[in-house]
Amino acid sequence: MAAADRIPSLIASHVDITYQVHGAKKAAAPVADPDDESLLAGLFKKGRDLATQQKVEAVKDVSFVAYHGESIGIIGRNGSGKSTLLRALAGVIPPTRGDIWINGEPALLGVNAVLMSKLSGERNVYIGGQAMGLSRSQVRERFDEIVDFSGIGQAVYRPMSTYSSGQAARLRFAISTAASPDILMIDEALATGDADFRERSTAKVAEIREQASTVFLVSHSNSTIRQICSRVIWMDKGRLIADGPTEEVVAAYERTLPKKAAAPKPAAPAVQDAPPTGV
Amino acid sequence: MTPAPNGAPPALTAEEAMALAQRHGLERLGGRPPFGVYIRRLWQRRSFLWTLSKAQASNENAEDRLGVLWHLLNPLFLVVSYFLIFGLLLDTRKGVDNFIAFLSIGVVVFGFSSSAITTGSKAVVGNLNLVRALRFPRAMLPIGVVIAEALATLPAFGVLFVVMLATGELPKLSWLLVPVAFLIQIGIVGGLVLVGARVLSVSRDIGNLIPVAIRLLRYVSGVFFSIDVYADGHPLVREILNLQPLALPITLTRQALLDELSINWTYWAAGAAWSVILLLVGLWIFWRDEANYGRG
Repeated sequence: MAAADRIPSLIASHVDITYQVHGAKKAAAPVADPDDESLLAGLFKKGRDLATQQKVEAVKDVSFVAYHGESIGIIGRNGSGKSTLLRALAGVIPPTRGDIWINGEPALLGVNAVLMSKLSGERNVYIGGQAMGLSRSQVRERFDEIVDFSGIGQAVYRPMSTYSSGQAARLRFAISTAASPDILMIDEALATGDADFRERSTAKVAEIREQASTVFLVSHSNSTIRQICSRVIWMDKGRLIADGPTEEVVAAYERTLPKKAAAPKPAAPAVQDAPPTGV
Repeated sequence: MTPAPNGAPPALTAEEAMALAQRHGLERLGGRPPFGVYIRRLWQRRSFLWTLSKAQASNENAEDRLGVLWHLLNPLFLVVSYFLIFGLLLDTRKGVDNFIAFLSIGVVVFGFSSSAITTGSKAVVGNLNLVRALRFPRAMLPIGVVIAEALATLPAFGVLFVVMLATGELPKLSWLLVPVAFLIQIGIVGGLVLVGARVLSVSRDIGNLIPVAIRLLRYVSGVFFSIDVYADGHPLVREILNLQPLALPITLTRQALLDELSINWTYWAAGAAWSVILLLVGLWIFWRDEANYGRG
């Protein structure tokens, strides 16, 4: 790896992230008929459940260096810590241990990043744009462009809670790319759009890369990853399993998946669902 | 160190990583900027703060049909019920000439403190989506709520002036001091909200105590009785109750509006001092934990 002259845009060094989960049950207690228990016992039981705390080690000892102009896919099963890692890289969740260095301003685009769902898309464009450092007048200038790109049309004046998940994802994608961020992080957002939007967003990601920015993409769609990414990081149970050229890593990852399981059928032999993390 | 199947490149040690970062001028993520820089950033991004406050103000009323009208109706209903209970039933009118005006000021002014503290303390834990999606100085969330609540209180202040005139108070020059009293209150409440927001992000259980604390403060802040009259025999208690930061804005507004009270500049100085000190202390306490609000 003759990377001496490449300029790093992000360095992750031995990053651990531990979540403190409140009010979660440790294990499913034997379910008795609720009528059997007295009200008082039930109350106490409830109180005990609420008071439990759990530690979830979502990311364990992850290190890598990302360079300008790279687009890096992060793959892995549900609950493998991909999204948590991405949020830490974006600087919105602090690592419990380890350090992250970064060159420029990151923008995170996630499925759950509903800004304020009761408000109109228009208002959310202003909130998102200004939070990413644009001025009010810059947002106003780019407003039409953002709405055009998202392709949601007049729906932008409706509350975001009325959007379909595809519409919301498209608007968010349009917002976060409007500010041409130095580092763009995309969490599954491309999966929800239709074919036309996927094509346009792929082009947009390529454009952002050409501006010497770095793109991170978390996705369960290996075809999207192959299309967009030059490099792939594979996470499993919070650990970094592999880090290398897209084709090699994705191929290795696919070998661990149940054969030809295009539809998510529960028939797979050894696929134990990883415990849900706070992702 | 991890023997990976595909051979991830060996990880740099922490020292090597730091050296590489410094060679290329990368910034460490997740640290908090120096306090002065933080304040400057807040100020630079004030237009975002404005957008955020307006959004929060309409977010709150988005599902009510009467919307903003509730900002008028709520204090009105409160004044009526307090008048029935405290004014007529328990008769706390002792020593007050214009009790309706006196009570209305208490309800409106304390209403702002109460609603701003209640919603503002939840500004960070209630907006984790936003916090986890975007990077911005987190203090904008609680401060935004305080500004939003202040805006929402303005119609009630309009009603207050109507009540003054309707109950026979004559306009005088000191009415112009009402906005000053309000600014003093905004500083005080802002400081308390910033502290509350940090406390809640550390322990949400404390959120359950806030309504209790607010109720207690409502009863000792002289919303529906005159502290001077009721604590007359105990000068120390009287002064403590009077100079307490949530009681002061009520007293100041009453001095400015009511004919029966005259301006006492000592109280105004105390209010201004509380305002500046609490706001700075609140900002400082909030800033200390800046890096950790996303963890939730």
